[in-house]
Amino acid sequence: MRFNVLRSRCNYIALTFLLFSLLATQLKAQDRASLVKGVVQNNSNEPLPGVSVIIRNTNTNFTSGTSTDSSGMFTFSRVSSGGPYSFTFSTVGYKSQTSSGYNIKEGITLSLAIKMAATSASLDQVVVVGYGTQRKKDLTGAISVVKGEDINSYPSNNVLQALSGRAPGVQVIQNNGSPGGNVSVRIRGTNSVQGSNEPLYVVDGFPLSGNPSQLLNNRDIESMQILKDASATAIYGSRGANGVIIITTKRGKSGATRVDIETNYSIQSVTKKLELMNAREYATLYNEGAVNDGVPPRFTEADIASFGEKGTDWQDLVFRKAPMSNTSMNISGGNEKTQFSVAGSVFMQQGIIKESDYNRYSIRANINHDISEKLNVTLGTTLTNIKSNRKNSGGGNRGGTLISGIISAPPLLKPYKEDGTFTVLGTSPYPFIATVMINPLNFIYEQSDILRANTILTNAALIYKPTPDLTIRISGGIENTDDRTDMYTTTKFLNSQGVASVRSSQFRSLLSENTITYNKTFDKNRISALGGFTYQNFHNTYIEGSGSGFISDINQTYELQAARTAGIPVSSYVNSTLISYLGRLNYSYDDRILATVSFRSDGASKYTEGNKWGYFPSGALAWRVSREKFFRNISAISDLKLRVGWGYTGSQAIDPYATLNQLISSKTVFGDALYTAYAPGTRLPGDLKWETTETKDIGFDLELLGNRLTITADYYIKTTRDLLNVVALPSSMGFTSTIQNVGMIENKGFELGIDADVMKRAFNWNINANISFNRNKVLKLYSGQDILGGAIGVTAVQDNANILREGRPIGQFYGYVEDGYTDKGKIKYKDLNRDGVITNVDKTYIGDPNPDFIYGFTSSMSYKNFNFSFFIQGVQGNDLYNVSAINNTLDYGLGLNMPREVFTNHWSPSNLNPKYPQFAQNSTTLASNRFVEDGSFLRLKNIQLSYNMNVEKLGVKWLRNLQIYASGQNLLTLTKYSWWDPEVNSRGGPNSTAQGFDYYSYPNYKSITFGIQAGL
Amino acid sequence: MNNINTSRFLRFPLRRYNAVLAAALLLITFSSCKKALLEEPKSLSVGTFYNTAAEVEAAANAIYLPYHGGSNNYAEYFMLLESFSDYCVGRNTYITTYSGLSATNINRAGGTWTMFYLSIRNANLVIANAPNGKNISQADIDKFVGEAKFMRAFNYFQLVKNWGGVPLHIETNITVTDVKRSTAAEVYELIISDLLNAEKNLPDMAAVSGRPSKWSAKTLLTDVYLQTGNFAGARDKAGEVISSKKYSLVPISTTDDFQKIYGPDVITTPEEVFYMKYTRQTGLGNYYVMFVNHPANKFHGAGGFFILYTLSTTSYFKNWDNNDKRKGLWYEINLGLGPNTMQNKKFIDPLGPSSTGAGNDHPWYRYADVLMMYAEATSRLGGPTPAAMEALNQVHRRAYGYSPLVPAPIDFNMADYNASNFLDLVIKEYGYEFQIEGKRWTQLVRTGKAPAVILAEKGQTIIQKHYLWPIPVSELNFNKALDPIKDQNPGY
Repeated sequence: MRFNVLRSRCNYIALTFLLFSLLATQLKAQDRASLVKGVVQNNSNEPLPGVSVIIRNTNTNFTSGTSTDSSGMFTFSRVSSGGPYSFTFSTVGYKSQTSSGYNIKEGITLSLAIKMAATSASLDQVVVVGYGTQRKKDLTGAISVVKGEDINSYPSNNVLQALSGRAPGVQVIQNNGSPGGNVSVRIRGTNSVQGSNEPLYVVDGFPLSGNPSQLLNNRDIESMQILKDASATAIYGSRGANGVIIITTKRGKSGATRVDIETNYSIQSVTKKLELMNAREYATLYNEGAVNDGVPPRFTEADIASFGEKGTDWQDLVFRKAPMSNTSMNISGGNEKTQFSVAGSVFMQQGIIKESDYNRYSIRANINHDISEKLNVTLGTTLTNIKSNRKNSGGGNRGGTLISGIISAPPLLKPYKEDGTFTVLGTSPYPFIATVMINPLNFIYEQSDILRANTILTNAALIYKPTPDLTIRISGGIENTDDRTDMYTTTKFLNSQGVASVRSSQFRSLLSENTITYNKTFDKNRISALGGFTYQNFHNTYIEGSGSGFISDINQTYELQAARTAGIPVSSYVNSTLISYLGRLNYSYDDRILATVSFRSDGASKYTEGNKWGYFPSGALAWRVSREKFFRNISAISDLKLRVGWGYTGSQAIDPYATLNQLISSKTVFGDALYTAYAPGTRLPGDLKWETTETKDIGFDLELLGNRLTITADYYIKTTRDLLNVVALPSSMGFTSTIQNVGMIENKGFELGIDADVMKRAFNWNINANISFNRNKVLKLYSGQDILGGAIGVTAVQDNANILREGRPIGQFYGYVEDGYTDKGKIKYKDLNRDGVITNVDKTYIGDPNPDFIYGFTSSMSYKNFNFSFFIQGVQGNDLYNVSAINNTLDYGLGLNMPREVFTNHWSPSNLNPKYPQFAQNSTTLASNRFVEDGSFLRLKNIQLSYNMNVEKLGVKWLRNLQIYASGQNLLTLTKYSWWDPEVNSRGGPNSTAQGFDYYSYPNYKSITFGIQAGL
Repeated sequence: MNNINTSRFLRFPLRRYNAVLAAALLLITFSSCKKALLEEPKSLSVGTFYNTAAEVEAAANAIYLPYHGGSNNYAEYFMLLESFSDYCVGRNTYITTYSGLSATNINRAGGTWTMFYLSIRNANLVIANAPNGKNISQADIDKFVGEAKFMRAFNYFQLVKNWGGVPLHIETNITVTDVKRSTAAEVYELIISDLLNAEKNLPDMAAVSGRPSKWSAKTLLTDVYLQTGNFAGARDKAGEVISSKKYSLVPISTTDDFQKIYGPDVITTPEEVFYMKYTRQTGLGNYYVMFVNHPANKFHGAGGFFILYTLSTTSYFKNWDNNDKRKGLWYEINLGLGPNTMQNKKFIDPLGPSSTGAGNDHPWYRYADVLMMYAEATSRLGGPTPAAMEALNQVHRRAYGYSPLVPAPIDFNMADYNASNFLDLVIKEYGYEFQIEGKRWTQLVRTGKAPAVILAEKGQTIIQKHYLWPIPVSELNFNKALDPIKDQNPGY
């Protein structure tokens, strides 16, 4: 039944479009009257596209509007004769102007040439919003804009990294420092436990299914708009709850062909080396441990003398100074009818861990063509190829992974044996050393994990303007990612007979998007209405082959059939669809009162019948107080706008098929052969509905001192209801969990952004700063049940390190509290419930990974041809859980190397109040507050000096501009965090609620960069 | 629309774009809506399965899944049981003081609980759905239901031995969340009724090794009867298996010949009654093999955790006849734990490709089990009989390299044994025969010998709470029919 209703709804929409098409045909059939044509240029004779042109007959009050095309041209085709007519021109960044007194004669074409003068007023900027654009002064929602130049201001391997610290309310968390490593973005906190908390990324109108870090080169980007409150994001409905980041890529402009070339080269190195014990200290400490454990000494005095002072520095063996370069070229230009932009880039990064790298090659083209005055076609297409050699073997414990091994490997062992093979650490002459410890060089040279991926995003639109007020846009797009991961462990790797696997996934998203926009101005009223229908289909397939036992390493992953044992092939298929209807109405009265109402209904195949449709309304009101008469006399304030908004957004928190009772196939063994088995999974499917987030936002935009100081502030409350969450079932059911709509989470916060032109003469100084405060609280959970998370499994400690509990923030660290030392030098834990024993009820809140506030500060100064800028970014009041330190500061007796501090400051009869307990194997270690550290940091993200060559003086006519620069990234970090780097989030991921863990992750880098940028 | 000629289309006069536009609109809006929101996965669904013999067989195969794949639980189950034994020490977190499970081991035991119940759920799905199959013969239904009931009994037997009474999930309450704790007697009642059904419906010869036959059912019944004190029942069931002459002990002449029984390349042997089968493939091999080996000697291709070891100074080891080839399975190794440390090479796979890839099967019931259980049951009924002594001697002879069925110089004599010292002999021999197979602790407990043996060998006193494992929090927290205090086992 539901199906029929749906189909009729589809038909209705189709009919609407058909009617519009017919209407368009009708309009076209009319005769032409007199023609007004014109071109609008700036003072340097460059055409200005998108200029709003209003024609008005001062006698009859006839008014009509249009805007200039990409070559600055505009046309009014049916103008009745008479007059006098006046023309008003307005656009972003230019002073509005009116030319009046034109009389039009029948059959005669009136031609106009207009020059517009630039202003610095940011209010006239056009901001890209969902399914359209708006002037900044007309905005009613909380939207931040990050310009392309900021995104390009320093080299980073990831577009999202470049967002860090640039906009209030946006937290960018780097999960680790690996080349091509993932970044988590949280806009105004964490809303969802089950679903993704990453924002929706929309590239040139195409909603991506993931993030664009693999797809885009930073230099492809014209601007990024961050839509934060529901009145801005509700138009994206079920994907709007985490905010929306709209990315616009560079497009061509008509005029002379421009070539922009930029290349830079960086040298990266690890931000900080850990200060570990040297060979002598190591041996001395483990001998002390042997005394404490009552076993014979591990080393004789002669042994210790033979190790020398330093021994092997494993960090030096694994880390390197690594180059990174980014070269790009953009050619753009065009004529009145056709404009293009073609860009190519090569980004190559070697990682600071040997043999790791990330290479990205991309080609992007944007084309615009006016088929006629009313019909326009656009195309944007990007192909990106990635090849990355990853060295991400992290986590684990006692030196069993690469990262853990770098820290844990004993300094007194040499990396190679005399025959040139790797030293086997676990069975060295010292059998007390943990057998799980693997010489880290194994991972570097005898294991590979290579990702190759091709990503395509291509999007075309047909834009039809039957009348100047009406725009019909029909667009379609394809996002496609094919990737292949080859993993091989050679026969030379410790205890390996050669293991190979090849995994390949194919992802495709198809989009059809159809919108109608109607703009009308009458008297002081201006309305803009939008209606649309979109369809998006997602299709995933996956295939995997593997094998183990190879007689030669030459085949690697390229001849799986050579394996002694073939692995079981795996393939899978997932398909889902999202159908949406959307509408928005913007109304402005006298540029004084602004209102926006929007609505979207999303139908998703993921949900059960009857729950497939979600409805997401929003509304917002803004009042430009400065336009009121009583405000005219306050000259210091050039603009003041108060905004208030409300809306519902959603989150697609479940996977396709999650509500179906599917059977999963697996293999079991009889005889010596494999047999297929079918059984349901351990998650009992439930009848689920949408998770919705209600947002309330109140804010203001203030411009002072003739636009030299801009302040934007917002306060918001976000409440997520019907939170989808895993509900545990008694394990005796065989099903261990189910998903249900339970729980409620609240995020509220305050954010402030300031932009100031401190000096504006020969010496220019601009400062931009932002700060955001977010408070997160779990309001309700399924029958008040706590949910334990953040599982730690490092042998010495097996526990859950965080908790989801009503009234507490998401990701709250949870553990034991230490209480000094016993008189034997063992750690004491607080018996919080005073029952005489330490049990898991003695755990309590020991830290919070959510920061008190985050901030960014940019200063840019220019004098003559020099420009000096720096960018500071910071996080304050967040805690980090140093999982790495559990093994490497407390797991004694297994031969792990440790920070020198353990050697210098551990318990002994002469040091009763040390940082570390007695060095003895027989100790109980619990997940305690010891491992929770202050993760606050202030970081000099970038500092740059650039020089613009005076091209004209050089007499090079073919050169438009030439800039050289030198910069440094992450050169200075102020933090109390003890491990490699405070920018770490080992368990980061779209739906991870385990934030703030440092668990043997690829460390971060700092770099020095030289670059050159030229325009021809 | 399809008949628009492409080349003509390209030359289309621009002023006629309206038609293009209208066509594009129609194309997009009409093609996209149909059935778009219906989910059509390329996978099978519970509602339309269990109709043919092949489907029911695949569902029955799933009962064994929890003992394979990524799960470590079965290996940890043996590790817990073996670390409680008299002859083994569990290193590191497996070390025990016989005063109840440590926090880590409570979690491990909880994991095995989940594993047994997952297997039970998959058995219940077969028992519930197979009889409604549309395209399956009654004979096949009976066979697979019998197999599922065998496995359900097998799992409940592990649960009841270690936890006492537990919640009973059967085919009629699969998705019921809150199920009260049954008594141990009620659990045994279900186990016995399931096994009697299995004994009736399972084939005389299993289609492939690893699936139970009616003889597997009789063997499991023997163990259940032995556990519940029905010694006559145990003796009779074991006797039926012995007199069927379906099984025999694999003869050996050297210690290394034990690999013909336990080795990774063995597919099946005449000694196999019911084994969990593994193959040399990542995720489908025997993970337990990792726990008993050390990387230094390459007994496991993937190294080893060397958790289980013994000391050559124990009376178990010292009193052992050097001519017993089973003794040679222990070898000295420096684990960094001081001198006299020994590990066992019963389960080794030098070509094991990964930690979960060792090819060794796990012998839950060998013919030696049948013989030894027969001997134990008989001794509990009043003393050795010639048949019981012969059963024990067959196992003993084989261990010394003699033919199992021919009297040998090392045979035990009837004349030397009465009810009491014969049971001691059975228990001693049991310890040698089933070393590191995960059976020792259960036997010591069921014969009541655990306190004395553990005190003698390890100097430890067993606290009462150690006999039953705690109901896991994963059950207590979410099963509202359980009272977290009253329904928890004593001491936890």
